[in-house]
Amino acid sequence: MSTREIFDSRIQSGLLLLPTLLVSVVFLYYPTALAVRTSFFDSSFGQGDEFVALENYVTLLTDPGYHSSLLLSILFAAVVVVGVIAVSLYLTFLIHEVDTGQGLYLISVIWPYALPPAVGALVFLFIAHPTLGVLTGPIEAVGVDVNWFNNGPQAFVVVALAAIWKQIGYNVIFMIAAMNNVPNTLTETAELDGVTGLRRLVSVYVPIMTPTLFFLVIINTIYAFFSTFAFVDLLTSGGPSNATNILIFDLYQEGFSFFNFGVASAKSVVLFLLVGVLMFVQFRVTDEYSYYGA
Amino acid sequence: MTTVTLQNLRKEFDDVVAVNGIDLEINHGEFLVIVGPSGCGKSTTLRLLAGLESTTDGRIEMNGQDVTTVEPKDRNVAMVFQNYALYPHMTGRRNITFGMKSSGDFTDEEIDRRVTEAADTLDIADLLDRKPDAMSGGERQRVALGRAIVRDPDAFLMDEPLSNLDAKLRIQMRAELARLHSTLETTTVYVTHDQTEAMTLGERVVVMNDGQIMQVDEPQVLYDFPANRFVAEFIGDPAMNMIPVEIQDGRAVHETFEIPLPSGTDQLKSNQNGVGDVQVIDGQRAILGIRPEDLHLSDAQTDGQLPTINAEVNVREPLGDSLLLHCSIGSTSCNIQAEPRTQVTAGETVSVTYDPARLHLFDAETGEALYHSESRQSTSEQAPSKLST
Repeated sequence: MSTREIFDSRIQSGLLLLPTLLVSVVFLYYPTALAVRTSFFDSSFGQGDEFVALENYVTLLTDPGYHSSLLLSILFAAVVVVGVIAVSLYLTFLIHEVDTGQGLYLISVIWPYALPPAVGALVFLFIAHPTLGVLTGPIEAVGVDVNWFNNGPQAFVVVALAAIWKQIGYNVIFMIAAMNNVPNTLTETAELDGVTGLRRLVSVYVPIMTPTLFFLVIINTIYAFFSTFAFVDLLTSGGPSNATNILIFDLYQEGFSFFNFGVASAKSVVLFLLVGVLMFVQFRVTDEYSYYGA
Repeated sequence: MTTVTLQNLRKEFDDVVAVNGIDLEINHGEFLVIVGPSGCGKSTTLRLLAGLESTTDGRIEMNGQDVTTVEPKDRNVAMVFQNYALYPHMTGRRNITFGMKSSGDFTDEEIDRRVTEAADTLDIADLLDRKPDAMSGGERQRVALGRAIVRDPDAFLMDEPLSNLDAKLRIQMRAELARLHSTLETTTVYVTHDQTEAMTLGERVVVMNDGQIMQVDEPQVLYDFPANRFVAEFIGDPAMNMIPVEIQDGRAVHETFEIPLPSGTDQLKSNQNGVGDVQVIDGQRAILGIRPEDLHLSDAQTDGQLPTINAEVNVREPLGDSLLLHCSIGSTSCNIQAEPRTQVTAGETVSVTYDPARLHLFDAETGEALYHSESRQSTSEQAPSKLST
């Protein structure tokens, strides 16, 4: 028996659990199971599902387009995760060091996170649009030809920047809480020792913040793989010449533009496994290197 | 040579005045303790010295140089905190060397040499490779001290460094700090709320209250000649008894007793033993201060000529080495430190006498000391060593 009896009976606790359970099963576990099942079938509109065993996976294994999409996604995720963590950490540090107007700075950093992804993508489009963008003029003034509608690498950078920009707010919220938790006396000791600026951030704050940072790395990884769809869709539609065709957009096109549900399902299963393995590795690393303690 | 001078130092936090215009001179190599109750401004004063807080007004000088607006790192002071402030992710050695390495003023060999030296002094060689997690409170504080001494600072600033330790360890570390200071002879400013620490460690003790300095003196002088009622009650445990009296003809008159104030009316009026230029006038209301250990149960044979005071025992507290009696003298409550194993029961009325050389009078309104029955001069003649250090 548990030491705390919160509910009068098992039925009561079961009833209270039911809504969550239902939502999870209907919208999470059932679709997952269905996707895994569909990945073994040749499935499309207007035709019955035909069992093809591993044929969809073989297709993926032999498709060079898919391979480049996979590599692109990993590169994209790495850029986004590193970018988000680095920029957020620096911004958090600046906000932490400011004496007055902290709240104002925080709000101005966090607001992009409050936007729905599609709105965020549209806002960013008008910030960086090759002809209409607010920032395009200043950037071109320093000699960069802003042309990401046609230039693949530029498009990749723009989508990554948009994804980073959108996610900074979320990271800063957690980071500022973690940084404020670092005992004041450590900051003061560092001050007396003449440990200033970025060295204090890197050598004192970051190690103590590791549990929060690892959590954010995991959340950001999931974000980079799954939640950046809107940016690709609205900014580049995967182009130019597949330069931004990351897995999540690729499988959406496979499923809902070409209606190859079987292959699309196989792609989503692969993506799911890829992120799952990454999570596992990250958790192992977290346990090993993270500092938990007072 | 490190001398520190505070001139009219003031610190306000919004509408709270934490430090209210204090002046203080800290001598070279001195162990100065600042003591006072919570919120008296003692830690703020120390933080102002360290440069961790900016002054609202006033001036801080170190060795004659104005450092009021100098950055903490450029003041060459080391601070030891109550919670040790060790970097939790670094080993003892790294904690000690981190600041030195960051400043870039020291070569690696120099750092190694100093760490070894500090480790020997503090006996922490076996702690150098451990992280703070794996150290006890006392060990952590020793490493924190090591970090302070390796830099060979001009002054140590210690903010209640022993408060997180248990009673036994605190006494041990107290002795170690005293030993360390006699070895290093570095100017040390030590903040504590514990008057025992203040008395045992300080060469001079600053008593603070409400952001102001109440008295600065050597520990025994503070105890024997408190400048005001606050110091009298704060220093000494159990605290000094405060009995409201009226002065009449050189006598302290209470509702239940009358005792002569030694030196007689004339001297009292001419203020030979008074403090400063305070005059005691006949009929003036005052507070008579007597420490519990200066009151004892009357013994007719030895105390024949001294007046006695009747006190009703309310509670008896056997402390082992003495017996503390909580009594009432008329409507005034009062503590008496009696001989251990004295047969007294609660409710009993006892006859009490006092040490006539250890009476104090304080102004009823301002609390300023008006008179000490023993003159400060005569004490210094009897025991020159106590005052001439």
